[in-house]
Amino acid sequence: MTKSILKKIVAIILALLAVLSAVVGCIYLPKRSSEIGDDIISDMRILTIINATTGDGLIETYIALAKEEARLQAEAEKMGMSKRRTFIAEAEAATRAKYEGVDTDNSSINPDDLAEPVKFYAEKLKAYIDEEARATEEYRKAHYDEAEAKAQAEREKKIAEGKDVPETLTVVVDMSGFEPTEKMIELRLSADEAYKQMGEAFKKSYPLIDDAALEAFEESIEKIVYVAGDDFSSLYDRYVEAGSASAIQDKTSAFLIRYADDFIYIAIALVIVMLTILFSEFLIGKMGIPRVIIGLFFIALCFTSLFYDLPLDTYFSNTLVRMGMNSIMVLAMVPGIQCGISLNLGLPIGLVAGLFGGLVTIQLGIPGIFGFIAAIAVGGVIAAICGWLYGHLLNRLKGEEMGVTTYVGFSIVSLMCIVWLVLPFNSLKLRWPMGSGMRNTIGLDKTNFEHILDDFLSFEIGGFTVPTGLLLFMAFMCFVVWLFGRTKTGIAMQAVGNNPRFAEATGISVNKMRIIGTVLSTVLGAIGILVYSQSYGFMQLYTAPRQMGFIAASAILIGGASTSRCKVSHVLIGTFLFQGILTLGMPVANVIVPGSTFSETLRILISNGIILYALTKSGGASRG
Amino acid sequence: MSAEFVLEMKNITKRYGENTVLSDVSLSVRPGEIHALLGENGAGKSTLMNVLFGMPVIHATGGFEGKVLLNGELTHVMSPHDAMQKGIGMVHQEFMLLPGFTVTENIKLNREITRRNPISRFMGKNLETLDEKSMSIDARRALDSVGMNIDEYTKIHGMPVGYMQFVEIAREIDKKGVKLLVFDEPTAVLTESEAKQLISVMKQIAQSGIAIIFITHRLDEVAAAADSITILRDGKLAAVRETKNTSIVELAELMIGRKGEAVVEADKRTPPSDEVALKVENLYVDMAGEEVKGISFDVYKGEILGIGGLAGQGKLGIPNGIMSLYDAHGSVELFGKRIVLGDAGAVLKSGIAMVSEDRKGVGLLLDQSIEDNIVFTAMQIYGEYLKKEVNIGSVRIPIAPITIKDQKKIREVALQMIKDLDIRCFGPTQHTGTLSGGNQQKVCIARALAMHPKFLFVSEPTRGIDIGAKKLVLETLVKLNREQGMTVVMVSSELQELRSVCDRIAIVSEGKLVDILDPNASDADFGLAMSGIKPSEHKEKGDGEQ
Repeated sequence: MTKSILKKIVAIILALLAVLSAVVGCIYLPKRSSEIGDDIISDMRILTIINATTGDGLIETYIALAKEEARLQAEAEKMGMSKRRTFIAEAEAATRAKYEGVDTDNSSINPDDLAEPVKFYAEKLKAYIDEEARATEEYRKAHYDEAEAKAQAEREKKIAEGKDVPETLTVVVDMSGFEPTEKMIELRLSADEAYKQMGEAFKKSYPLIDDAALEAFEESIEKIVYVAGDDFSSLYDRYVEAGSASAIQDKTSAFLIRYADDFIYIAIALVIVMLTILFSEFLIGKMGIPRVIIGLFFIALCFTSLFYDLPLDTYFSNTLVRMGMNSIMVLAMVPGIQCGISLNLGLPIGLVAGLFGGLVTIQLGIPGIFGFIAAIAVGGVIAAICGWLYGHLLNRLKGEEMGVTTYVGFSIVSLMCIVWLVLPFNSLKLRWPMGSGMRNTIGLDKTNFEHILDDFLSFEIGGFTVPTGLLLFMAFMCFVVWLFGRTKTGIAMQAVGNNPRFAEATGISVNKMRIIGTVLSTVLGAIGILVYSQSYGFMQLYTAPRQMGFIAASAILIGGASTSRCKVSHVLIGTFLFQGILTLGMPVANVIVPGSTFSETLRILISNGIILYALTKSGGASRG
Repeated sequence: MSAEFVLEMKNITKRYGENTVLSDVSLSVRPGEIHALLGENGAGKSTLMNVLFGMPVIHATGGFEGKVLLNGELTHVMSPHDAMQKGIGMVHQEFMLLPGFTVTENIKLNREITRRNPISRFMGKNLETLDEKSMSIDARRALDSVGMNIDEYTKIHGMPVGYMQFVEIAREIDKKGVKLLVFDEPTAVLTESEAKQLISVMKQIAQSGIAIIFITHRLDEVAAAADSITILRDGKLAAVRETKNTSIVELAELMIGRKGEAVVEADKRTPPSDEVALKVENLYVDMAGEEVKGISFDVYKGEILGIGGLAGQGKLGIPNGIMSLYDAHGSVELFGKRIVLGDAGAVLKSGIAMVSEDRKGVGLLLDQSIEDNIVFTAMQIYGEYLKKEVNIGSVRIPIAPITIKDQKKIREVALQMIKDLDIRCFGPTQHTGTLSGGNQQKVCIARALAMHPKFLFVSEPTRGIDIGAKKLVLETLVKLNREQGMTVVMVSSELQELRSVCDRIAIVSEGKLVDILDPNASDADFGLAMSGIKPSEHKEKGDGEQ
C-alpha cells in the first residue's frame, strides 16, 4: 500500500520535472536560429577573433613574418649559412625593436564596430565552404568505383605475381584531378572580398594590425568562423573552449539555448523513468528483471549519446548492420532450444564448418554471389554431417547438455586451430605470406563475397544506411525457421523439447527429433558465420569463433527466450538490444572514460550474466 | 511393563487445510503383539504413522488433535529422530540402505561404536575411530535374530531384495530399547517364501516382547500373522478386531465398505455386445511400481470395463503397456487385428487412444496452448490439420511439398471441444500449464477424442480434480460410450467410481488379474479380490472348511 503510494508520488514528481524540462527546452530551442542565437554566436565569434589576432601575440606574428621575409630574401640572394643566420637574426631584432613599448592593449576595440563585417564575412564563408564540401564529396563519389577497381586490380596483380598482400583493400580516391567549380570560385571571391572588408574594420578599431598580418591570419580566422557542418552547438562549444564565454551578455539564457535540446531529451527520459516506475511490476512480470535492466540500459545509452551530441543515427545504422550480421547465428539457437538440447553452446561446430566453406570458395576463386552460395552449400553440408554426429553425442548424454555443448564448442575450436594450420590451401589471400597454414584473419574483397548481402539494394536516408539485402536475408531465414516451427516435424520437435515423455507417448522418436534440431542449429550456425563474415569483411579463424556461441546464446536470452522456450521474435529483439548496447556502449564509454575497454567488458558481463541468470531460472527444467 | 498398552493413540484427528484425512482414529497396541493396520489406499494409514513418527509434514501443517501415549505416558514425538530415541522403529517399504556400504555399516549407520584416538581428542567426537569389531558383533547378533546367515561384511549392492528387507529389520532391532516396530508393507516386494520367512521372524521378534504394527493389504498374511487388527476406511476408524474372532471375508467387507454417494450413476445394463473389441493375452509390462505379470482379459465392444485394484498392483501398467509407453510383451488384438507392442505411434494409428494418469508428465504440453495440445496427436499420427499454403491476409502462397499447421481448422475444432467438454479457459490459446487440474484433464480427453478413436483407455480420470470436474469427466465418458458406442476401459483407484460407471470391473493384484466382478458384487468380494483372493474360490474353500 505505502509502496504504491510512494511510487505514485515519485511518478508525479518525475512527471512535473519532465514537463518543466520540456517547457524549457521548447522555449529555448527555437531561439537558436533567432536573432538572440545569432547575437550570442556573433559576440563570441568576434571575441574569439580578437583574442586570436590582437594583443602580444600580434607582435610575435610580426616578428615571425619579418623572419620569414628575411629568410626568403636570404635564400633569393643565395647567402652563406652563417651569413643567412645573422641576416635573419638582425631582421628579428629590428622588428622587436620597432614594436618595443608599443601598446598592444586590445580593450579599446569595440566589438559592435566589427559586428556587421564579421557577420557578413561569416555568411559568405559559410556559403563557400558548404559548396566546397558538396563539390568534393560529389567528385569523390563519382570517382570511388574507379579508384576501387584500380586498387583491386593492383591487389590481384600482386597475388598473381606471388607477392605479399595486405588483408584489406584500402581505397584512396585521388583528389588531384579535382577542379573547383565556377560557383566555388565565385563564392570564394566574394568571401575574400568580405574578409577584406572585415580587415578594414579591424584596422580601424585596432591600428596596430596591418594587411600582412591579416593575410597571415586568414586561415586561422577561417577555422574560427566556420568549419564544414557547424551548427549552433558546435560553434558555441568551440568558442567556449577558446575562452570567449565572457562575450555573452546573458549567460543563463545562452546556456539554456545551448542545452535546449538536452532539456527535451531529459524530459523524454524522465517520462520513460516515470512509466517504468509506475509499471515496474507489470514490466518485470512480463519481461523479467534482466530484460528490463538491459532495455533501460540501452535507452540510457541512447540518451547519453544524445547528451554528448554523438551521431546517434550512425550508431543506429551500425546497430542495424550488426543485428543483421549476428541474427542468423542467434537464430541457430532456436532449433536447439526447441528440440530440447537447451542453449547450443556447441555452435562453433557450425561456425567452423561455415568458415571452411568460405575458405573453399576463396581457394577456388568463385566470385560474388555464386561464391557466397557455394560457401553456404559446402559449409552447410559439412555442418549437417558434424551436427548429425554431435546430435548423437548429445543423445547419449541427455540431461548434461549445458556442459557437453560448452565443452564441445571449446574443443572443436582448439581442434580446428590445428586444422587451419595444416590445410593445404595455397591461395595467397588465405595462407600466411611466409610458411603455410591459414591466416588469422582473412580479408574479403569484391572478388569474393564481401558485403554481398549488405550492398544488395542498400540505400541511405540521411546518415542512416539501410543494408537492405542483409535485412532481407535475415527476414527470409527467420521466416524459414518460423515456417519449420509450424510443420508437422517442427511441431513434433518442439513437443520433444517441451515434454519428451509426451512426445514418446505419441510415437515420436525423441532422439531423432533432437538430432534434427541439432543439425538445423549447426547448419544455421554455418550460414550465420558466412553472413557475419561477408558483412564484417573478414573471416576470422583460430580462436575467434570460441565466444560466438555465448554471444548468440545471450542475445536470444535477452530477447526473452528461456533455456527451454523460444520464438523467432526473441531472436530479433535480443539481437537488436545486445548489438545496440555494444555499438552505443563503446563511443559513449570513450567519451566518459577515454581509452577504456568498457565495451568489451560490457559484452563479457552481459553475455555471461544473462546466461547465468537463465540457468538459475530454468533450474532443473533443462535437465529433462 | 506396567502399562497394558505399549502404544495408545487416542482420538487422532488430522486436517490438511480444509481436508480432513483422519478423524477421531484410535489405535492401541499391546506389548509383544503383532497388530495389523488395514485399509485401502488413502484410508489414512500413512498419515497415522506420520503422526506417530512426528514427521515434519505433520508439524508443518498445523499438528494434529488427540493424544499419543507410550507405555501409558503422554508423549509428544517431535521428529523421526525423537521417535527412534523413544523406542519406535520403522521398517520402510522403500529400503533406506546405502548400496556401497557393508551390512554392518548399514546396520550401525549413525550409531557407530567408536574409540577415541589422538586426533579426536582435539577435533571432537566426529573423528573417532570406528570399532569395527564390536560393530560387527552387534550386527551379527541382530542378523541372527532375524534368522539371516549372510556375512556381515557383504555389501548391500547386488543383494537380493528379500535380504535387504531383513537387513533393514536387523537395523531396527539393533537399536537399543526398541519397543515398537512398524512394518510398512514389508511383503510387497518379497517372494512368497521370503514373505513366509518374514512373518516367522516377525513372530519371533514379537515373542521377545517388541510390539509390531504391521501395515499391509494382504488379508491372508494378516490372518496368518496378526494378533489384533485395526481397520481404517476413508480416514475413519472402521473396526478393531481380534484375529481369532473374525474372518477374511469380514475384514474385506470392513475395508471396502461404501464411501459416500456416487458422483455419477450410469444406468445398469447387460453388456451390449458379445463381439470382442480388445483381446489381451499374457500381457507383461515392465513399469516400475506398477508391474504387470501376465494378464489376460477380453473387452467387449461398446462396454465400459473398469480396472481396479490397490496402488502399485499393476493396474496402471495395463494401459501404459498396451500404449507402449513402457516395455511390454504379450498378445493384444483390437477387433481381431494384432497390435505390435513397442511402437506407440502404430498403436495410436490402430485406433486406440489413451488419457494418461500422469497429466502433467505424459498427458500435456504445459507450455503450449490448449488448441495445439488438442490436435497434436491427430496431426502427428494421421497428418490432419495441416495445409500446403501460407496465408498472409487473403493472399495464398503455395509452399508444397511443405505442409504447415492449419491454424483455422485447429481453432475450429478447439472451440468445438472447449464447448462440448466445458473446458473453462480464457480461450484456445491459453497455455495448458495455467489451467486447473479438471480442465487439464478435459484437454487430455479432448486430445484423445480428436483422434476419433475406436477404443479409449482412461487412466485415473478423476485423480486430483475437484468434485464438479469429476462429475463432468465421468459423464463425458458415459456419454461417449452410450451415444457414440465407444468402447472404454477405465482404470481407477476409486472403486466407488468404477462401480457407478462400469459394466464389469476387473480387479488386479500383484500384477495379475484376480477376477472380473459385476459392479453390484458385494463389498466383501471386492475387498477379497483387492487383497489378491478370488472371491469365488475363497467361498468354496470356506464352504469346504465348514
